[in-house]
Amino acid sequence: MSKGNRGRDRTAVKRIVEQQKAAERRRRVTIWTSVGVVAVLLIAGLIGWGVLANQDSDSSQASTPSVAVDDGTAFAVGSGPVTVDIYEDFMCPICHEFENQTGPAIAQLVTDKKVTVRYHPVSILDRASNGTKYSTRSAGAAAAAAVDGKFIEYHQVLFDNQPEEGSDGLDNAKLIELGKSVGLGDSFAQAVDGKTYDSWATKATETFASRGYSGTPTIVVNGKQVTGPNGTLPTTEVFTQAVTAAAG
Amino acid sequence: MDLKQQPRLAAAWPWISTLARLGLAAVFLIAGGLKVTDLAASARAVNAYDLMSYDTAKVIGAVQPFLEIALGLLLLIGIATRLSAAIAAVVLVIFIAGIISAWSRGLQIDCGCFSKGGELTGGRTAQYGLDILRDVGFLALAGILLWKPRTRFSLDGLLMGDR
Repeated sequence: MSKGNRGRDRTAVKRIVEQQKAAERRRRVTIWTSVGVVAVLLIAGLIGWGVLANQDSDSSQASTPSVAVDDGTAFAVGSGPVTVDIYEDFMCPICHEFENQTGPAIAQLVTDKKVTVRYHPVSILDRASNGTKYSTRSAGAAAAAAVDGKFIEYHQVLFDNQPEEGSDGLDNAKLIELGKSVGLGDSFAQAVDGKTYDSWATKATETFASRGYSGTPTIVVNGKQVTGPNGTLPTTEVFTQAVTAAAG
Repeated sequence: MDLKQQPRLAAAWPWISTLARLGLAAVFLIAGGLKVTDLAASARAVNAYDLMSYDTAKVIGAVQPFLEIALGLLLLIGIATRLSAAIAAVVLVIFIAGIISAWSRGLQIDCGCFSKGGELTGGRTAQYGLDILRDVGFLALAGILLWKPRTRFSLDGLLMGDR
């Protein structure tokens, strides 16, 4: 009897000791894995920071097109008193729609010397061209066209030949061919092939974002953004009214 | 105790938690993976909430996808599951607060949850209600893990000597 009791006691003690050991082990594991988790997240954050800093130093070496206005982010057309800023991505279908719809009215306002239009090519839709970064390449090509004095012509052919979202976009050869069709030559071709203004496009897009804009097209008349109801695309009527109001 | 009353449910919990853990891991891996390839776009998505300066948004936009991927990997291997789930829950609450804030200010933006986000243009309308509902669903997964952090196929289980 007493022997059996002692045996039971011993097993009980052993079990308690083992339980305590297991609990101790759990606690140690919890502490060290928690430290590990925090460390991994800190490192991941630092990697993100590092990648950002690296990209920033890349875009600070961007060569700004000589003819660009507005902190080197835009190309001006016309010489009227009202300033119209149009931020567009050559991949953006609604920008194309806006050009088709309101482009003729804008051209008329330019001819009548009522507005100065500052076109800001931006590249926010790079994700929509299967990794070929069509938005950046086309914006860079537009800058090259501007340097050679053919911005508005090239702007027009880019929209006329707009690739579909989700396609590869137009390749550089096609971008150069379109340039030739509006009278651009070898220096343009070299700039497109050499991606001379691609990092400028990235930088111009950052300026666009830092001004608090995030969608394209963004249309600004004398510093005031013009939209239709609920942030939709403004009609030509809404746009021209904004210009008339700004002209005073 | 639950154990006595519902032994079947008690046995099922580690499996339920395992599903929650892997589901939440997938959510963060996909969300981070979609953003990490274009950090400038991620910065614009954060900036579209109009809650901070662009320079701050840029840093958040760059750091966030890496954090999401790291958190997804931590959940995938199941290390310090309860802490990982708690961090996931905090992150989700911040996301939900951001969406509610954008909604209440009448901003028309894509939440940028599983994309690079940004402002919506031309005909697309924001679906804040659905976005919030989905994030609350993810929060529930994190809740399950906070409550019952023991899961199968986890590093925690291996280190603690569970079967």
